[in-house]
Amino acid sequence: MARQDWIHKWLCYALALLPVWWLDAYVLTRFPVFGVTALLLPVAVTAVAVLEGVSGGAGFGLGVGLLWATAYADGDGSRVLLLTLVGMFVGALARYALARSLVGCMLCSAGALAALLLVRGAVDLFFMRANLWQLLGVAAPQLFWSLVWTPPVYAIFYRVYQRVGGDKLA
Amino acid sequence: MKKFFRENGILLLIAAVLLSVLITLCSNLFSSGVDPLGSLLNTIATPVRGGISAVANWVEGVYDYIFHYDQMEDELTQLRRRVAEMEDRLRQAQYESEENQRLRQLLELREQRRDFVFESAQVNAHGTKGWDDTLTLSKGSNCGIEVGDCVITETGVLVGIVSQVGLNWSTVDTVLSPNTELGGQTVRTGLAGVLSGELDLMQQGLLKLGYLPIDHGLVEGDEIVTSGRGGIYPSGLVVGTVTQTGTDEAGLSGYALVEPAARLDKLVQVFVIKQFDIVE
Repeated sequence: MARQDWIHKWLCYALALLPVWWLDAYVLTRFPVFGVTALLLPVAVTAVAVLEGVSGGAGFGLGVGLLWATAYADGDGSRVLLLTLVGMFVGALARYALARSLVGCMLCSAGALAALLLVRGAVDLFFMRANLWQLLGVAAPQLFWSLVWTPPVYAIFYRVYQRVGGDKLA
Repeated sequence: MKKFFRENGILLLIAAVLLSVLITLCSNLFSSGVDPLGSLLNTIATPVRGGISAVANWVEGVYDYIFHYDQMEDELTQLRRRVAEMEDRLRQAQYESEENQRLRQLLELREQRRDFVFESAQVNAHGTKGWDDTLTLSKGSNCGIEVGDCVITETGVLVGIVSQVGLNWSTVDTVLSPNTELGGQTVRTGLAGVLSGELDLMQQGLLKLGYLPIDHGLVEGDEIVTSGRGGIYPSGLVVGTVTQTGTDEAGLSGYALVEPAARLDKLVQVFVIKQFDIVE
């Protein structure tokens, strides 16, 4: 794949990320469900990783992690690494264990979100900011509500994948 | 996976680790808690965010209008009800504040006239029909009010005399009423006469202090109080001030026209003197 095509492809994915980011940062925050808001950025990383594999997933994860760490009020540096790892592992899972499909994306999203929430919960538990039940009371609905948003997010990136994904531009 | 690590994967991971550490360090080092990259991004993004927020607000407004119209209408109804309740409370508070003020003034009067036994009552109706001038009070015989009791304001100004009493209501002939007749005297000279209402004077808002000597010496502004003579009404209740003096048609006695001190058309609460000590 030519460098220009590579840039074109990832620019399309970046543009597809914009409405997801807008939803995540500015719309869904206004409409909490079960007292929580959905985490769409990890779902976006998962969707792209399922479609693009290990390298694409890790690279996209790094980019989205940077966005999450810098553009969000509660962002922290660890999210860059975490989303890179999520992209990498999900890409590998999709390639070797799961099909490149919505179901695979749902399973991977559930795993990725669980891992992220586990890390977050572990930090809070370590610093004794909350007890386990309090953490579960937040994490469980957030996981569920984020999974609800997985199909539309996957649909957005699948559309991009159909046009420019994989080696289609090669 | 091996391909990933063989190609640029390892570099990608190293970059991710370095960026994570860098952002975390910067966030902790800078007092604002924001790393320079984040700060820059947020600075750039602020106007965009404002625009996005405006759009989101608009969408939210449209969403609310479409999907929450009934809810908003209910809320509006509830809010209107609450405003009405609060206005009602405010009116009640103002009313109670005024009542409190009147009671405080009455307390001073009570200190001066320890012999008085009062019954406070609300003025429910003003019964001026052109032929008499009456007030209807909210209390009656169940509170010990009797015909002939004097009614005063919180400052001790005479309003009138109770003329009718029911179980929980009573009617007062005001000092302007033609039915009213009681002893009065001037504060300055102590000269005594008879205070009475007259039909024509009632229209002018005046009453008459009659049966005065021709050379009574009263001047405009003299204060008139009840004399208490005969023991029917208490003494020293302020009635009003002299506005005009003259001599009756027969030329045998003088009189003075008195303007009541009480604002009879503005009364809300009055006090009925149920008992008093006779001072001759």
